[in-house]
Amino acid sequence: MKKNNFLAGISTYSTIIILSVLMLIIATLTDLFGGSLLVRIVTALFVNLIVVMGMQVFMGNSGILAWAHVGFMGIGAYVSSICSMSPEIKEMAVPQIYPFLLNIQFSFIPSLLVGTLVAIVIAAIISYPLMRLSDTTAAISSFALLIIINSILVHWDRVTNGPRTLFGVEEFTTIWTAVAGAILILVFAYLFKESSLGLRLRASRDDFYAASAMGINITRVRYFSFIVGAGIAGFGGGLFAHYITSFTPTAFYLAETFNILAMLVVGGTMSVSGAVVGTFLVTATKEGIRAVENFINLNNLLSFDVVGLTEVLLATALIVVLIFRPQGILGGRELRFSKKTTGKNRLLNSSESSLEE
Amino acid sequence: MLQVEHLKVRYGSIIALHDISIEVHEGELVALLGVNGAGKTTTLSAIAGVVKPVQGKIVFLGHSLIGESPEAILKRGIAVVPEHRDIFPNLTVEENLRMGAFSRHNRQEFMEDIQQTYELFPILKERFHQSGGTLSGGEQQQLAIARSMMTHPKLLVLDEPSLGLAPKIVDQIFSLIVTLRSRGSTILLVEQNVNRTLEIADRAYLINNGRVALHGTPEELKSQSAIKDIYLGKKHPREVNLDNT
Amino acid sequence: MITLDFIINAISLGSLYALISLGLVIIYGILKMVNFAYGELIMIGGYFLYIVGLNTQIPWFFVAVAAILAAMLVSFTTELVAFRQVREKSLTALLITSFAVSTLLQNAALLIISPRAKAVPLPAIFSTSVSLLGANIPMRNVLTIVTTIILLIGLSLLLKHTLLGIALRAAADNFKMTRMLGVPANLVISIAFILSGAIAGVVSLFWVGRTASVTPSIGQAPLLIAFIATVVGGINSLEGAVVGGFVYGLLFSFIGVLLPQSMLDYREAFMFLIVILILLWRPQGLIKGRFAQERVG
Repeated sequence: MKKNNFLAGISTYSTIIILSVLMLIIATLTDLFGGSLLVRIVTALFVNLIVVMGMQVFMGNSGILAWAHVGFMGIGAYVSSICSMSPEIKEMAVPQIYPFLLNIQFSFIPSLLVGTLVAIVIAAIISYPLMRLSDTTAAISSFALLIIINSILVHWDRVTNGPRTLFGVEEFTTIWTAVAGAILILVFAYLFKESSLGLRLRASRDDFYAASAMGINITRVRYFSFIVGAGIAGFGGGLFAHYITSFTPTAFYLAETFNILAMLVVGGTMSVSGAVVGTFLVTATKEGIRAVENFINLNNLLSFDVVGLTEVLLATALIVVLIFRPQGILGGRELRFSKKTTGKNRLLNSSESSLEE
Repeated sequence: MLQVEHLKVRYGSIIALHDISIEVHEGELVALLGVNGAGKTTTLSAIAGVVKPVQGKIVFLGHSLIGESPEAILKRGIAVVPEHRDIFPNLTVEENLRMGAFSRHNRQEFMEDIQQTYELFPILKERFHQSGGTLSGGEQQQLAIARSMMTHPKLLVLDEPSLGLAPKIVDQIFSLIVTLRSRGSTILLVEQNVNRTLEIADRAYLINNGRVALHGTPEELKSQSAIKDIYLGKKHPREVNLDNT
Repeated sequence: MITLDFIINAISLGSLYALISLGLVIIYGILKMVNFAYGELIMIGGYFLYIVGLNTQIPWFFVAVAAILAAMLVSFTTELVAFRQVREKSLTALLITSFAVSTLLQNAALLIISPRAKAVPLPAIFSTSVSLLGANIPMRNVLTIVTTIILLIGLSLLLKHTLLGIALRAAADNFKMTRMLGVPANLVISIAFILSGAIAGVVSLFWVGRTASVTPSIGQAPLLIAFIATVVGGINSLEGAVVGGFVYGLLFSFIGVLLPQSMLDYREAFMFLIVILILLWRPQGLIKGRFAQERVG
């Protein structure tokens, strides 16, 4: 009996094991053999992955698109940066910063946590009413929320330095920090999905009325999941800020939303493995095309500079995926050791997708 | 006119129809009876082209309907008046009727059709320029039927027209259906209201659990106690021996 | 200072915003989808004016007409190639697709033309002014108001008195039933997209006319305006969107004058906050909705 339990345990968590090992291998290889550019690319990949998994937690399990997701990434980024920067640098970076913000300084991890916390709190305060809205109005308010967050980031100069660049953030995020964060969130996202809350959320996604009839308070379930997703985004934002060291509010707006969406949809919204696979695939593709772009530009192969090719191709790919395989590459399945899925997963991990209906 | 043979329909892993065979001849008023969930609406959906069966045949005037789109099936001459009437609430009665006549491009014919509509559905003449949403339930049902008649169907299919209507209004609708039939329309009527339906139908099928449990003329059916037992709840539908057919 | 010319200019802005909203709502009414690529249709119009205007001597009026046609064509094509295939799937897929199309078009302009703003040749009439009751009003604004009125009347007539218009309204009421009556779904939707493109084309003329330049991201601002206006005015009806846009334009102008300088930057955030509040209080917008809430299947 004990041996069976152990094996059952392994196979249940095999997804986490497979993905973590995969990420560790990539991090190790990059650290050992990669040049500084590759290290930066892979670090950014893991940071993006965290944000993508945050979106997966809410969107994959609820079937609702959270347009405001990268807004919370931005909140985490700015808050954690203000926390971690020394007063001297802060004074230069944000000339009119509030005095009480000027003098605080935490080390890296606490700053990250504060950023995450603020994102969670803000999500907690504003999102409850949104969870009750239907399909169409939910999408609209979600989008409006993204714009509001961006607007506040752009206009609140005394905290964010407005539309101008916030520079001087220390580069605390190493490739190992990033992969550690990614594995942490991976475990969290997977456990969330299989938890009671995650199950209830997925039930509401698959059959709204049946779930309600079963007594699931769908608004509350969505609410808590949304907060979790926002927190993860905030966490990712903090790591991002300390990787890129200078940024503007535009980094957390439409372009980034598109990025994250592409990564999640390509891999498959309904599984954590999908988030991972999608992020890897899209990052690899982007960097590949970018390399081509740079090659063309540096060598003046064309009379003009090639800009925007990456986005054009990526957008096309996303449209193609949505048309022909909306459930993504993995189709909502998780990477596992065994082919057999456990009982409760067989029903809830069907290869239909909330994007297919 | 319409032949449905051994129809089997599946929704995912749930089998909604096991084996349905019905026939409608020209000029008849045929009824499909059964409790909720028995498979009546699924049968209609299959005929209308909304759902594709996994087995069986649906032949209308010699053509197989399986795999055709709802628009194509309409062109073949089958008009379905859906369960919830589905009139256009923001369009006037006139505009609703115009939409019914959309597939017919003859303006002259349209005017003649409108005259006929006035005759059969006098209340619609009164409300001609009112928007559909302001009509009562019974009036909306009449509008839905009139609108479908605009397509000059060879077979008119009515899905639970009495749903949600007061008994007096149901009487109105049913006498309307009889009038339509007496003018030569072929009608397939799906209903839960057994007694009233058996009063006007030529033949009826009792659908139960995705199968045809009973069929025959109203006299034949009324004499079968099984039908009473099911509807009065003396026997659970699943207890009824289907081999009684 | 609230003078006559200020009022007329505010009305002009309101008219423009009303038009912008109209183009977006036409699609929303039938498909229940926010076409994120709508802003890019305006961008296309602008770039068309730029490219053709710069390289030919064709009179501006004809270039303008061609620009409108170009926007109509692109709108039609995006539906044919992308949206039609995803339509049967979920609304989320449709929204993401429109977002992707928007990104694609924007970056295509970036790639093919340039990330930098380009100057757009405008007709001389745009720079003239008209004297009215002692006030000096830019001709551009007068034209905006006149064009808007003409378009609104035209569209009204189309919707109320033509079979096509009735079909469009029926599709907005209940798309599934419209199909079951034999109305070709694809035709109705294509026409809606073409109409939306036509309006975007007209908008582009006046939008570009305000700055005399075009950039790849020029469509973003109008999209947001349409977004706010339709939500506030009523995303469920054409009239609501028009009224919403008009009110938004007026409000924007007046707030610009009345608000102290320091708060001015928050104008946008303020409007969006109102959006969310209205959505929570009255999700169908200020004007009572007419469209059915069901989605297209």
